[in-house]
Amino acid sequence: MNALVSSGPAQLLSGKPLRFIAAGILLINGLFPALWILFTSLKTEGELTAKPITWVPHAPTLANYAQAFSDQPLHLFLFNSFMVALLSTCLTLLISVLAAYALARLNLRYRGAILSVIVAVSTFPLVTLLVPLFEIMRALNLLNTWIALILPYTVLSLPVCTLILVSFFEGIPRDLENAAMIDGCTRLGALFKVVVPLSAPGVFTAGILAFVNAWDEFLLALSFNSNPTLRTLPVGIQLYQGEFAFPWPVISAALVVGIVPVAILIVIFQERVVSGLTAGGIKG
Amino acid sequence: MAVLSISATDSAKDSERPSPVWTRWLDLSDRAMAVLLLLPAAVLLALIIVYPIGRLVYTSFFNLSLTSGLPAEFVGLENYRIMLDDPVFWETTWNTVLITLITVPGALLLGLGLALLANLPFAMQWPVRLSLLIPWALPLSFAGLIFAWFFHYEYGVVNDVLNRLGFEGIIWFNSPNWAFAAICLTIIWKTSSFMALIILAGLQTIPRSLYEAADVDGAGRLRQFFEITLPLLKPAIVVALIFRTITALQTFDIPYMMTGGGPGSSTATLAMYIHQNTVSFLDLGYGSALAVVMFILSMGVTAIYLRIIRTKEA
Repeated sequence: MNALVSSGPAQLLSGKPLRFIAAGILLINGLFPALWILFTSLKTEGELTAKPITWVPHAPTLANYAQAFSDQPLHLFLFNSFMVALLSTCLTLLISVLAAYALARLNLRYRGAILSVIVAVSTFPLVTLLVPLFEIMRALNLLNTWIALILPYTVLSLPVCTLILVSFFEGIPRDLENAAMIDGCTRLGALFKVVVPLSAPGVFTAGILAFVNAWDEFLLALSFNSNPTLRTLPVGIQLYQGEFAFPWPVISAALVVGIVPVAILIVIFQERVVSGLTAGGIKG
Repeated sequence: MAVLSISATDSAKDSERPSPVWTRWLDLSDRAMAVLLLLPAAVLLALIIVYPIGRLVYTSFFNLSLTSGLPAEFVGLENYRIMLDDPVFWETTWNTVLITLITVPGALLLGLGLALLANLPFAMQWPVRLSLLIPWALPLSFAGLIFAWFFHYEYGVVNDVLNRLGFEGIIWFNSPNWAFAAICLTIIWKTSSFMALIILAGLQTIPRSLYEAADVDGAGRLRQFFEITLPLLKPAIVVALIFRTITALQTFDIPYMMTGGGPGSSTATLAMYIHQNTVSFLDLGYGSALAVVMFILSMGVTAIYLRIIRTKEA
């Protein structure tokens, strides 16, 4: 009797129609905004201002994409974003590999305290340091350079990357490392020739998170790099709006151009990203 | 545990007791190694966080405005006194707190719902995963622009749907309340995917056998949810909530892109006010004092976070 009662709703909840609806809700919630921007980017100005508004573009055009690249140096925004994200990712990985190795392998007396500092830094509001960082970058003549962004972005991702790498390093048997050291490797040699290659999935995960963090950052990029040729994508995209005009199809085209690189990264490495997020979030 | 190289354990076996000199040398080398490995991280944190914090607090005691061209003048707590009488400070702080109080629970509820849906046994996992990852990876500033377009009075899709359902379209960005609502909805949408991913990972660690046992005992789905699912999800939810709270206190990108803080400063946040005083007005003294307040706010939440983690580990 009881079994019958509970199997009713259970079947409903795991039944095909419900899964179909659930998938629909998830896909619409997750992908509709990006899809809508894609549709907008393909519309002509005339179709855009037609009432009632159309959903799917009637006469798709790529003219907005051409205009997005000619109105503003979109290729430079992309280049700046890409280089800043790439360089800060490399720097983050290098520094966090070293730190994570010390935390995972060496017998540190203050390990707990250091981990607490890392967690505290992971939640640190960088916006509060806008003034002093601005002053420091100005004093060092670094305003309007990639370095002004690369250094803070490295700090932004350092904690989560270190935590991910610590958990990966702890899973590598010490014997492998010791064997390498007996064969004449130094400790650092063993780290880079044995531990890092064996933790490749973790290094990759950490790298993707660092890249996305840097690609997304807006406030510091907005404040430190005012030179038009050094703007990153999130900052540059604002420049499309005139004082009164808001050319939505062109802005949408620029947004699509900005979304595609990270979307490709996510599509290829989705499983690693998920595992990295949860490792950083829950373990942190 | 203790890190000893193989040669060290060998030599320890050779003599009755390990040579004290040898062990001390090992310890020293271990410690020196650790210092060396942690040094780059420490230098970077010192340059980008520790020194700036000191400088921030120091500057907050000065009248330092780059527009006036005057040298910095020590004014003690004057900036903080001005703040107490500054209605925009109170308004932006209140907006920040309100955004936190609305969007954190909102994102949790939406994220929990999405995670429960995503946890159903789909034949293909990747489209579901992608539908959570794309919003997560979308830059906040992009989300702000996209939703500003969604909520556009004449050509926005939100008003179009309202019209089709027989309602009047809303002029979202002319009224403080509607503008605030649009911003909160956008933040909830953008941040719920992170919540959902964390909660989904938690859901997938709950053993199926628990539900099968509950089925046998005749517990209904709803009871199973409240007595198995939610309690076991609690650790994941707490961590996600605290992370979200801290980032909500720093809200900048989405309101900046959607309304620029307007109408008036009715949708401006504390982070936007700091940015405005610093970058637009170049009033570094006052901007620093505002940042100190925000720093204290978020360190308070971080302290709670660290405490929870410590008790979890203990």
